[in-house]
Amino acid sequence: MKRFFTLTEALEAAPADRPFVTAWIDEDEQETVTFGEFRSRARCQAAVLRDQSVASGDRVVVLMPQGIPAMTTFAGAMMLGAVPAFLAYPNFKVEPSKYRSGLAGVTANLGAKVVVIDEQFPDDMLGHVSLGEETRLLRAGNSKGSPEEELSFRTNRADGLAFIQHSAGTTGLQKGVALTHAAVLRQVDYLCAALSLDGSADRIYTWLPLYHDMGMIACFMLPMVCHVPVVMQSPLDWVMHPEAMLQIISEHKCTLAWMPNFGLQFVPRRTPQNRWAQYNLSSLRALINCSEPVRASSMDEFQSAFSNIGLKPTALQASYAMAENVFAVTQSDLSRPSGPARIWADREQFRISHRIVPVTKETTEAVCFTSSGRLLPNHEVRIVSDSGTELAAGHVGEILVKSDCLFEGYYNRPDLTAQAIADGWYHSGDLGFYLDGELYVIGRKKDLIIVGGENLYPQDLEEIVATCPAIHDGRAIAMGLYNSDLGTEDIVVVAEVERKELLARAEEIERDIRSRVVAGLGVAVRTILLKPPKWIVKSTAGKPSRSATREKLLKEHPELNVDSQEIPVV
Amino acid sequence: MTPEAQQMIEHIARLIRKPNLPIDENTPLVSSGLIDSMALVDLLIKLEDLTRKRIPPGKVQPKDMDTVAKMFATAERVGKPRR
Repeated sequence: MKRFFTLTEALEAAPADRPFVTAWIDEDEQETVTFGEFRSRARCQAAVLRDQSVASGDRVVVLMPQGIPAMTTFAGAMMLGAVPAFLAYPNFKVEPSKYRSGLAGVTANLGAKVVVIDEQFPDDMLGHVSLGEETRLLRAGNSKGSPEEELSFRTNRADGLAFIQHSAGTTGLQKGVALTHAAVLRQVDYLCAALSLDGSADRIYTWLPLYHDMGMIACFMLPMVCHVPVVMQSPLDWVMHPEAMLQIISEHKCTLAWMPNFGLQFVPRRTPQNRWAQYNLSSLRALINCSEPVRASSMDEFQSAFSNIGLKPTALQASYAMAENVFAVTQSDLSRPSGPARIWADREQFRISHRIVPVTKETTEAVCFTSSGRLLPNHEVRIVSDSGTELAAGHVGEILVKSDCLFEGYYNRPDLTAQAIADGWYHSGDLGFYLDGELYVIGRKKDLIIVGGENLYPQDLEEIVATCPAIHDGRAIAMGLYNSDLGTEDIVVVAEVERKELLARAEEIERDIRSRVVAGLGVAVRTILLKPPKWIVKSTAGKPSRSATREKLLKEHPELNVDSQEIPVV
Repeated sequence: MTPEAQQMIEHIARLIRKPNLPIDENTPLVSSGLIDSMALVDLLIKLEDLTRKRIPPGKVQPKDMDTVAKMFATAERVGKPRR
C-alpha cells in the first residue's frame, strides 16, 4: 500500500472511476458513488462549511442518517482541516428534551463550530436547543458549493487531529476520542497488511453505525484509504431485516465484513430457514467478530447455519478493538486453516485462581475460550492484577494496551484521560489472558453494558430509574446479563421502592420505569426487579455496590444467570 | 378488529411474555419500552405472513411498527406482492 501522510491525501489518490460507497436501501433502491464522485461531493460540502467560516481545527458535528451525504460531509470537513465527529441520529423513542440536553452537552464539550443536520431532521429534537453562542446549525442541502472550486488541503498535517470518535452510545458520559491522521493511517496500514487487503478485488459489506469505531474505521476510513468499495445499509434497516445481509453479500459478492458477536446468532435465527438456500456466501473471505468476548458458540451457530450456502470454514475471524486505539489491537490470522485458536481450560482453576490450565476438549465442565488473535505490529499488551502487578501468560487480569495507534486523549477531558492512560499504557477495563502469542478477551472489569453492540453506561440508566417517584432516590442498579438466546446482553434493573407497600403496585411502577428509560436513552429494559427498601448492597463508602448487588441478585434469582461462563471477580 | 390484527396481538403477547398486560391495536409497543428493536424483525416477519406481502427493508422505521394498527397501515403503504 502506498504511504500517505493524511487521510484526505489518501482519498485524493483513489482511482476516480472505482465504486466507493453503495448505499443499499432495498433491492429496488440503491445508490453507488465512485471515488471521483465522492470526492467532488465532499468538496462541495467543504465549500459549504467554509462559507460558514469553518476553518482548520474547528470541530464539526455531523448528525445525519447513515448514508452517502453523512460521509461526504464528514470527508468535506476533513478536507478543510476541521475535526468532524459523527453523533447518533435521534431515535424516535427518545424524548426530545432528553435528546436536546444530551446534544447540548456533547457539542459544548467539543466546542463545535457547526452542527450539520439533514433536511428531514425532526424539528422537535432541536426546538430551543441551546448549542452555545459559538455553534451554528446547518441543514445539509440548504446551499450548494461549486464542485469545480479548488480547495487547498495543505492545512492538514500528519500529527494534526483528523476526527473525534465517541466511545459509548449514551450521551451522558460520552467521551470523545481524539485521533490524529498519523495514528489512523498507521492502524489502517496494519489492518491492510493483516487482512491482505486488495482494493481491486475486495468489497466490504457493512451495517455498522458510523458513530462507532467498527463502522467508522473498518468500514469507512479503511476502505477510503485502501480504495476498497463498500456496500452499506443502515443499522436500523439491518436490525429490522437481518436477512438483507445475506442478500447483499450474495448480490455484491462482498469479501469482508465486521460484526459484533450477537449478529452471528441474530442473522441465522431471524432469517426464515426456507430462504437460506436463495443466498451464496462463498465470496466472503473474512467475517470478523469484534466483541469482548468472542463466543465460540455464536461463531459455530453461524458457521453451521450457512456452510451449505458456501460459507468457508475459515471465514469467521476475530479481532479485539477499541475506539481509544483507533480500532484493532489484535487480528486473528486469516491463513490459519481452522479459524481463530480455541482453548479449553479447567473450570475450577479459572473460577478460583483465575488461571488458565489447558485441558482436553472432552474434559467435563471444561471452559472454552476463543482467541481474538495476535497483536498488530507495534502493539503491546500487559495483563495486570487489581493491584497493578503484571501477570504471567495464562493468568486472567485487566488488559493494558500500548501502541503507536493510541489516542491523544479524551477531547477536552484531561481528567478522564489521566484516569485511562498511565505511563503510556491504556487501561482497557477488559479482562483477558495472553497465551502462546494469542490474546483471549473474556469480559469486562468495568460496568459497561453492551446491548446489540452498543455501549451503555449503567450510571445513565440508574439516573433515569431514580427519577421514578416510587423508587428510593439513588437506590437503583443497572447491569448487563448475557442472554445466550440473543447472543448479547439484556439490560436488567434492580431498584428499591420507597416503601414496602409500593411492591403491590409493581406492574404500574415497572411500566413507568420502562417508559422513562426508553424516553431517555431509546433502549428497552428486559427485566425489572423491584425490591423492598435496604435490599441493595452498599459499599463501605455507603454507595450502592454494583458487583455485590449483582452477586446477591444472581443468588436470589438463579434463572437470570444463564451464562455458564460468568466472569469471575478478579 | 380484523382476524389478522387479533393474531398479531396474540403473537406479541407471546413474545413479551406478559400474559396479564392488555394489548389492543393502539397500545404503544416500541415507544413504551415493551419491545426492543431486536424484536421488531419477528414482528415484520409475522406481518409479512399475515398480510401475504413482502415488506422491503429500508422503507419501514421502528416508529411505523409502534402499534398493531400502525403495522398494518405500514404494510398497506409499503408492502409489495410476494415474489
